[in-house]
Amino acid sequence: MSAVAPAAAMPAPLPAAERSSGLPLVVLLLLPIALVNAFGFLAPVFNLLRMSFYESQATGAMVEVYTFATWASVLRDSFYAELILNSILVSLGITLMTLVCSYPIALYLHRSSGTWRTILLVLVISPLLTSAVVRTYGWVAILSENGLVNNALGAIGIAPLKLMFNKTGVVIGLTEILMPYMILALLAGFGRLDPRVEEAASTLGAPPWKVFRHIVVPLTMPGIALGSLLCFVLAVSSFITPKLLGGGRVFLLATEIYDQAIVTLNWPLAATLSILVLVIFGGALVLYTRALRAIM
Amino acid sequence: MKTYAKIAIGAGLATALLSSTAMAQQTVTVMAYSGLFQERYTKAVVEPFMKANPGIKVEYFPMPNSAQMLGNLRAQKAAPQADVVIMDVSVSKAATDEKLLTKIDEKNTPNVADLYPSARIADVDGVAVTFDNLVLLYNTDTVKETPKSWMDLADKKFAGKVAIPGMPDIQGLSLVLITDKARGGTDYLKNVDKGIAALGEIAPNVQTWEPKPEVYVTIISGQATVGAGWNARAQVNIDTSNGKLGATLPKEGSVFQINTINQVAGGPGKDAGAKFINYALSPEAQKAFTEAMFYAPTNAKAQISDAAIARTAVKSMDKVIPVDWIALAKVREPIMDQWRRKVIPLSR
Repeated sequence: MSAVAPAAAMPAPLPAAERSSGLPLVVLLLLPIALVNAFGFLAPVFNLLRMSFYESQATGAMVEVYTFATWASVLRDSFYAELILNSILVSLGITLMTLVCSYPIALYLHRSSGTWRTILLVLVISPLLTSAVVRTYGWVAILSENGLVNNALGAIGIAPLKLMFNKTGVVIGLTEILMPYMILALLAGFGRLDPRVEEAASTLGAPPWKVFRHIVVPLTMPGIALGSLLCFVLAVSSFITPKLLGGGRVFLLATEIYDQAIVTLNWPLAATLSILVLVIFGGALVLYTRALRAIM
Repeated sequence: MKTYAKIAIGAGLATALLSSTAMAQQTVTVMAYSGLFQERYTKAVVEPFMKANPGIKVEYFPMPNSAQMLGNLRAQKAAPQADVVIMDVSVSKAATDEKLLTKIDEKNTPNVADLYPSARIADVDGVAVTFDNLVLLYNTDTVKETPKSWMDLADKKFAGKVAIPGMPDIQGLSLVLITDKARGGTDYLKNVDKGIAALGEIAPNVQTWEPKPEVYVTIISGQATVGAGWNARAQVNIDTSNGKLGATLPKEGSVFQINTINQVAGGPGKDAGAKFINYALSPEAQKAFTEAMFYAPTNAKAQISDAAIARTAVKSMDKVIPVDWIALAKVREPIMDQWRRKVIPLSR
């Protein structure tokens, strides 16, 4: 208490001249994180941007010049347009699936309380403690031709389905892997959902689906927007799960960047595609802020 | 004055001590593949080298693939930390062009004189240290009769059971080259249409173009039953799986994958690095590593046991199609394009 008192008393007698030093103080407080971001994020991104203008020779050797050759080839080749479109569509699909699967769980969690809520919350978060690689291998065991699902189908006389090494596998795997993020984001955005408003609607004669449609969904929109943004960004940038479950048939931006950087050694191309991913993220962020403004 | 003298004597002593320990212990940092390669190479080459040269300590710096080694060399260009790098020949070419390496030849490395002609690659600063070749893999539990042709992979009975590391991996590319040659293709630098067509026939059978973690495990576990992979790893996996994996060199033949050993330009352990490279190319080191991991030797004088040599491609050199990986790199992009448009869509 005695330690707090002088600190609390300090601001009051400050003369006006000293109070104007509030701005430098803000700067001072923001400086550490700004520095961390500058070194840890901005510098690498600028480096990447610079690298996208390097020349890549056929042998993989990189020449530090300024050339638009890589950008031109990316913009001219229809493969990359397909790649970008495919990445966006697949990621949107994954986001939608994740939302549909997570929403009921988040809503239930929001309404539960006490120990039960804590247990459920731990259950929801616990998959994050395991790496995506391990969880993806789990899906391999479930979705493969001799896996859990196809064995069960076989037992009731249904021919095995191709659930893996294609787009289906990637969507299923990523949906499950992203669910914890979606649930947490939804919970964070459910603050405005007041049970009394739902009760009021019900007492005024609204059937449950109408309450859900006109009360619950609009009030939880901030959570839906936040969760969708987060999952879309994570889906576009994930490459381990598409690599393991895509079987080399699913072409996405992230896997292509990996191949160009690690296998083909075309770093300028990998850098160009990475910048394009950042542009897509920027677009998603713009959409998110617009959506948020419309809701609020 | 007195204190200055003391400091001078102290500093002198310290320098003397430091330099004497430096004399006693030189360090060579070898950057090479992690996993199985590291385990076997350490036992077969690194440890015997240190025994023969007590003054030199070898640090093995493991990396999962050649591209990451190149990434490391690029990042450390100003102050290299590694002395020796073992990497794929095409990556070695990129490193050569970026002036990251020092040329290895008979003058600084006498054993180079005994290498096979194909181990010395034009316009690459390093020299070949291992040869490996593509083999057809099969699960011996389910495939009773050893496949004879690469085109057996297109057989209806293997529908959905084929695992091939597809392009851009060079195993997929190798398969295009082999089948192209078998069908009468004459110059893979001009076109590989016949090879692409052959892969198009195999494609409907393919379960995965990205067998993970490795094609060998995928086939041993029975998830896939046939496929393509590198001989050296296949041979080790045959032993560790008690024969569950089978590997064969089909009648159309195969191609060599080349690992080069390279000296990093301006590496910290200069002379010691050259000494290690010379040892790695010596007949005894080549013999030890071939017998440990079944990579074909690059030193013509290496006297390898019959049992080990039979498990490499050395005895079937006539089946190995020569490939100029450096020239091929220039046409890899158009081949990749054909692969995406004419092979992958047939395997959906």
